[in-house]
Amino acid sequence: MRGLFRWSSKWWPGVIPLVILWALAAWTTTGPLEADLSAHADAALKGSVLDKTTISAAGRDITFSAEAFSEQERSSALASVEAVPGVRLVNDHTALVAEARPFVWTIERDVGKVTLSGNAPLPVVRNKLLDAARAIFSGIDIADHMNLSRGAPPRFETAAALLIGEIGKLKTGKATMSDMTVTLSGMARELGGREAIAAALKNLPEGYSVTNDIHAPPYIFEANKDPVAATLTLTGYVPDNAVHAAIVASAGRKFGEKVVDKLKASLGAPAGFDAVVTRALGSLSRLSTGRLVVSDRDVELSGDALYDAAARQLRADLPKDLPRGWQAKLEVSVKPAAAPVDPAVCQQLFADLLGKRTIQFETGQATLDPDSIGLLDRLTETALRCPTATIEIVGYTDSDGDPSFNQTLSERRAQAVVDYLVKAGMPADRFKPVGYGSAQPIASNDTDEGKAKNRRIDFIVRQ
Amino acid sequence: MVYLAEFHWGWLAGSLLLGFAMGWIAVVHRGRGVTKRVMQVLSIFVAALVVAAVTHVVPGRFGYWLDLGLAMFGAYLVGCAIGSWLRDMVVSRQAASGEPPGRS
Repeated sequence: MRGLFRWSSKWWPGVIPLVILWALAAWTTTGPLEADLSAHADAALKGSVLDKTTISAAGRDITFSAEAFSEQERSSALASVEAVPGVRLVNDHTALVAEARPFVWTIERDVGKVTLSGNAPLPVVRNKLLDAARAIFSGIDIADHMNLSRGAPPRFETAAALLIGEIGKLKTGKATMSDMTVTLSGMARELGGREAIAAALKNLPEGYSVTNDIHAPPYIFEANKDPVAATLTLTGYVPDNAVHAAIVASAGRKFGEKVVDKLKASLGAPAGFDAVVTRALGSLSRLSTGRLVVSDRDVELSGDALYDAAARQLRADLPKDLPRGWQAKLEVSVKPAAAPVDPAVCQQLFADLLGKRTIQFETGQATLDPDSIGLLDRLTETALRCPTATIEIVGYTDSDGDPSFNQTLSERRAQAVVDYLVKAGMPADRFKPVGYGSAQPIASNDTDEGKAKNRRIDFIVRQ
Repeated sequence: MVYLAEFHWGWLAGSLLLGFAMGWIAVVHRGRGVTKRVMQVLSIFVAALVVAAVTHVVPGRFGYWLDLGLAMFGAYLVGCAIGSWLRDMVVSRQAASGEPPGRS
């Protein structure tokens, strides 16, 4: 041992080439060593979910900066870098991702661009949302302005993916999710789009609330009465097949003309649509020529009434009968009065009108059926053409029921028709109501068809 | 340390060989060595460097270079010790068989 100590006093000359060797080693190995440690640190972070990760090496010291989505993730990532073989020190510049309060996420669709902005909870969620947007808006530019933040509401990804799908149904629009409150605005591409989106949003996870401010193209129903072709043409939309059938049947009863049915079923009808259309068709049936347009909650009726009082009644009654929130716009003029005719022609005109249709009443009552009002107006117009004639209004019933009741009913029904004619402005003394009950049947009372024929009102012109 | 040894084995082997050569020569070298006082000062200096390396007080590249230098110096010392010990064994055997020392 003493020898070793003695010899060591003479080892110093070798230190000079050793220093040279050391300088050479430091010169040539620093760069590769730093690159090697950085690569190993990168590899160690492969399984960690981090944002804004940067790793730089100075000698064997690693400067590690990143934003983690939880404290556990942050400390685990730091430990992974510290465990890399060869690393001497880790300068920890890691932090937690900022927490967003409220957590707001937005998707906005313009004509040629879709923008996703706001906050996303994790890179993988952000990528999934972008992929979903690309799948739905194929061929449209997708702009990603999302930032990663903590504080997302539960089941954020499900809710956001659903909203992306629903925004795909809009021409332009925007969906914003602020914590668990969803707001949608914009213009739907199709009729009923608003309702379709509202239905789909019921699938949002529990706890989410929705404000739906989507607008859709107007819901239009149109009826054109053409007296030359003797047709009623129905176009536009109805909510479903049941309402479709009901409206077409009602039009058939009210007009007694050929109904050209071009209606299509679609979602998006305003509430009370079928009742309003049925009521407005009743008004249209009183016009000589006319057009009815129901656009969302606006009812437009234009055309020519058959006489002055009818025009006044239409202008007064239709707006009053519409439900709250509906608007009526009437442009009703009066058809020029037809030339007067002698009583014989008048009788023929009455016969023609009543030959095609009969005046209907409520069952067992003397209340005029609203479906007969168009026919009554035509009878009134005819009565106005023979101002000097006296007209007998004769009521009949079928044989069902008590004969005395039928007698009274037929008289009351004849009187109801007279009242209608007097309301049109004609003197009451021109009309004589008569009831014959079930007497004088014109068809067999053994069949329903025969009974229907026997339940009638006749107009008999007296000189 | 294992990583350093793996990554720099060539340089450490070079230092070891250099030390071996110096140790081989030192046994028969007739010049004066450093004084005991200088040895002590150098030992304290090296110990201070080791403490600095172990406590990681020198940051970044300088810290790495310090580690590298100490590792190479350590390999050099080991090489010296082996070289001197082997040379001493050779010289002792020659002396025992009557040959003049300093030749091999």
